[in-house]
Amino acid sequence: MVLLCTVSPNNMLSNDLISIREATKQLGVSIDTLRRWDAAGRLPSVRSGPRGHRFYRLTDINLFLRNESALAKQWAIASVGVTPPNDVYCPTRDVFQARLERLQHSLENIVPDSARYLLSAIAGEIGNNSFDHNLGNWPDITGIYFSYDLNNRNIVLADRGQGILKTLRHARPQLTNAGEALKVAFTETISGRTPEARGNGLKFVRKVIIENPFTLKFQTGDAKLFLKEHDNNITTLPAGEYVRGCIAIIGFEKRT
Amino acid sequence: MLEDVLLLLDLKKEHDYENNMIIVLKKFGTTLVSRPSGKEAWLAFQPNLKNTSDSEEIVVDFTDVLVLTPSWADEFLTPLRSRFKDKVRLFNTDNSSVKATLEILDKNKF
Repeated sequence: MVLLCTVSPNNMLSNDLISIREATKQLGVSIDTLRRWDAAGRLPSVRSGPRGHRFYRLTDINLFLRNESALAKQWAIASVGVTPPNDVYCPTRDVFQARLERLQHSLENIVPDSARYLLSAIAGEIGNNSFDHNLGNWPDITGIYFSYDLNNRNIVLADRGQGILKTLRHARPQLTNAGEALKVAFTETISGRTPEARGNGLKFVRKVIIENPFTLKFQTGDAKLFLKEHDNNITTLPAGEYVRGCIAIIGFEKRT
Repeated sequence: MLEDVLLLLDLKKEHDYENNMIIVLKKFGTTLVSRPSGKEAWLAFQPNLKNTSDSEEIVVDFTDVLVLTPSWADEFLTPLRSRFKDKVRLFNTDNSSVKATLEILDKNKF
């Protein structure tokens, strides 16, 4: 297979291909190992350029590593929405509820029960928030991406919805950017579905994160924030890549 | 045999609260997270509340509820507390997610 590609200075290619050398760094194996895996079909490369050099799709590397958060982020930032793989796709709340309960069981013996129930609660709140605020208004893919990696101790939720800025503007039209909206969502009782009695969800998430050995990376639009235990301040930062909807990565400690 | 003992204990519990309305939340499920399910629970329970006077005590029992979120609680507990106010009494709220949810609700609404 021959693709015409241009190599950027940071060794990344314009269509998310990386060089074999970059792939060795990410995977921690030698070039010879990658060649063997390619020949065996274990991790196929993409041949490119006049000499047919091996390159690798970033998606293939992340799938190989089962890097859940990177896969979810790639899905969330893609310009064209595609339906996620079945094992991480929750098109409806019912599917999400069933998988949330499966997560709850999977966390048994990994974290104490009190942490297990709290992690399920904040994942449930974030996932349902996506459904609440995009019902009937999904721009392309309906539903959410939900996965978890118990070895790396993280839970990932993403949607390709309208994002927090657009949602909160219904209640507060003067909001001008995603950073402001993100801060409001995590600190004030306000809802894009005003006048309904709502708006506690992300405040609850924040409270649980800062009172427990958990972390949260959250991005919407071009703004992101990071929360951790005892972290009472909310600081939003500009994000490198644009996420129209939301992506949340919850981290947790294993049982000690 | 054990089941008989548990049944007797349950009956005793019912008897202790015979003048009160008791809402056993686990009958709605043990993972109570979404707004629609909270709203559905509230609507489904309305016939039970129809003949309850506003002065009657309402006991909400959280036994065996594993996961509760503010979204679910906002659709069930908030309207219940709006109607019956301080007549609502909450029992067995030791679960970590129940405690965290009630703290958020209390901070913002009551």
